[in-house]
Amino acid sequence: MSHDNDFKRDLAEIAAHKLREGRITKRGFLQAMAALGVIPMAGLGGRAMAAPSELVIVNWGGTAADVIKEVLGDTYKEATGIDVVIDGSGPSAGRIRAMVESGAVVWDVCDSGPGSAIILGEAGVTEPMNYDIIDRTKMMEGTDWEYGAGNYVYSYVLAYNPKLSEGGVPTSWADVFDTKNFPGMRTFRKAVRGMLECATMAQGVPLAEVYDVLSTEDGIDAAIEQFRKIRENVIVWGSGSESQNLFLQEEVVMGNIWSTRAHLLKDEMDEGTFAVSFDGGVMSPGTWVVPKGNPAGAEEAMKFIAFAQDPALQVKWFELIGSAPINPAAAPLVPESMSRWNPTSPENVATQILYNDEWYAANQIAAEEKYVNALIN
Amino acid sequence: MTSDKARYWLLALPALAVMAIFYIWPLVNIWAISVTEPVPGFGNYVQGAESQAVTTSFVITFRVAALTTVFCVILGYICAYAIANTIRRAKPLLIALVLLPFWVSVLIRSFSWIVLLGRSGIVNDALRDVGVIERPLRLMHNEFGVVLAMVHVMLPFAVLPLLANMRGISPAYTDAARGLGASELTAFRLVYLPQTLPGIGSAALLVFVLSLGFYITPALLGGGRVLMVSEYITYQIQEFLNWGLGSALSVALLVATALVLVIAGRFLNLKNALLERS
Repeated sequence: MSHDNDFKRDLAEIAAHKLREGRITKRGFLQAMAALGVIPMAGLGGRAMAAPSELVIVNWGGTAADVIKEVLGDTYKEATGIDVVIDGSGPSAGRIRAMVESGAVVWDVCDSGPGSAIILGEAGVTEPMNYDIIDRTKMMEGTDWEYGAGNYVYSYVLAYNPKLSEGGVPTSWADVFDTKNFPGMRTFRKAVRGMLECATMAQGVPLAEVYDVLSTEDGIDAAIEQFRKIRENVIVWGSGSESQNLFLQEEVVMGNIWSTRAHLLKDEMDEGTFAVSFDGGVMSPGTWVVPKGNPAGAEEAMKFIAFAQDPALQVKWFELIGSAPINPAAAPLVPESMSRWNPTSPENVATQILYNDEWYAANQIAAEEKYVNALIN
Repeated sequence: MTSDKARYWLLALPALAVMAIFYIWPLVNIWAISVTEPVPGFGNYVQGAESQAVTTSFVITFRVAALTTVFCVILGYICAYAIANTIRRAKPLLIALVLLPFWVSVLIRSFSWIVLLGRSGIVNDALRDVGVIERPLRLMHNEFGVVLAMVHVMLPFAVLPLLANMRGISPAYTDAARGLGASELTAFRLVYLPQTLPGIGSAALLVFVLSLGFYITPALLGGGRVLMVSEYITYQIQEFLNWGLGSALSVALLVATALVLVIAGRFLNLKNALLERS
């Protein structure tokens, strides 16, 4: 993701926001979008029609785009004769909404998240998932949303460097928050997403009760307090690559990072200097969403989503990029040597919880402010 | 006379137009957003003033800027003094060395500090190899690292105004003081130093004001715990799309910077300090 893309994405979101509030006219909005290069000018006249023999899959670019092309695109073409085009420009909720509201939809299936899927569905700009075509039994329980179908899973996990850790190997979040017995620097995300859960578990709260405890003011404050206690030993990561660098440069001994970055680190670091514990991890699913009025039609999009449920393909995807299979049937197909790195292997699923989007919708902003305050004040 | 004046204004017009369109107008919009989103009124400012995180961030910002200024002025003074007074033949080379960092992006200079100051960075490795330390020192991801790197980035902004000031000082005054029996130190303290006060003032002001809004270096070397206001603004806007509070914070930072200038204006002649050329 280039910085320029981020910037344009942000601008597109803002413009869409203004359009909704009636601050700018639809005409002005479309012109702004075209000027940003977000909507191709040619698409403005009428409906931009992708050829019916083609599907446009949109994700966030980088290696992941190549992997989707290889794992899903080429195989889908083989199976159905339909060409799959990968657009790596980043289907943020703002851009999807902007595209549908402008009437120039050129995307068929987008890689999104549950939070965005719920918001977009409520805004009426995405198609409901057709679970007659998509198989609910081929996805992890709780990831079959009305307007989004789970496509892969990544986890917030405990990662550590056994060689640097002077207190021995940390086996739980309680160890991570114990700087006396486990000295050294830790890394946590700059924002609260995926972080308060582990601070709550560190206090001995059982997995099943984590979000219940966090749903009270006291629960949030207690989690924040954990970070305040160890803040002298905290370095935060803002992007996934930053978290990776902190481990590579031996700046930190342990921390809470994405399993996809851990997947890269296990190959990049020397034998015995990197390990992961899925005990107390937070599994976060990605979702497919389908913009309303997509060029190939909703049914074609659903067929593609169903095709991507194939366990063998999901295992391939995992091996290439670390996004774990969401289809429970895929776990046994993961090679023995990689199984312990798989966030959705039955052993690992048993010790993790599922990221709760409703909790974040209700509490994130208030918690975020307290989190920053605890780290700097 | 009046037509002459008008002609000069005409020359300034393109620059003024660029400023008005690309600076003043967006700025007015930021002011507007800060009092209109999400609801009209001063809610964003109240929220900012009541938030401990925001007030702490302002304290950190002013502290880091002040520390940077002090070190920059001291180091810059020594550097400018050496260039202006001692070495004559090497002068162009020394000035080129001061200017050289301007040709390297701040981002790259900040990353270089990461390579130097890291836990297994060059400095720590060297110290450990010669046996000075047993375990790595924490040189970055704290205020020390941020101030160190910021002094490096800001130093030319202190050297240049001081140099301009010192070059305008005739050596005859100090020579005369020495001739009348003053020691070297006394001559410097009573005769030379007072003449460089305007240079010190403009160097300090320039470095301080630039440091207040600095973003890249603290973001990279602060480890998230040296959260300056500019980073906090980015955080509000990028993470939460909270344009109201983000704008209010930038307006507050602008007002704070303007206040610094007003207060400085009471103690030194701003016109001379900022526009002085020898």
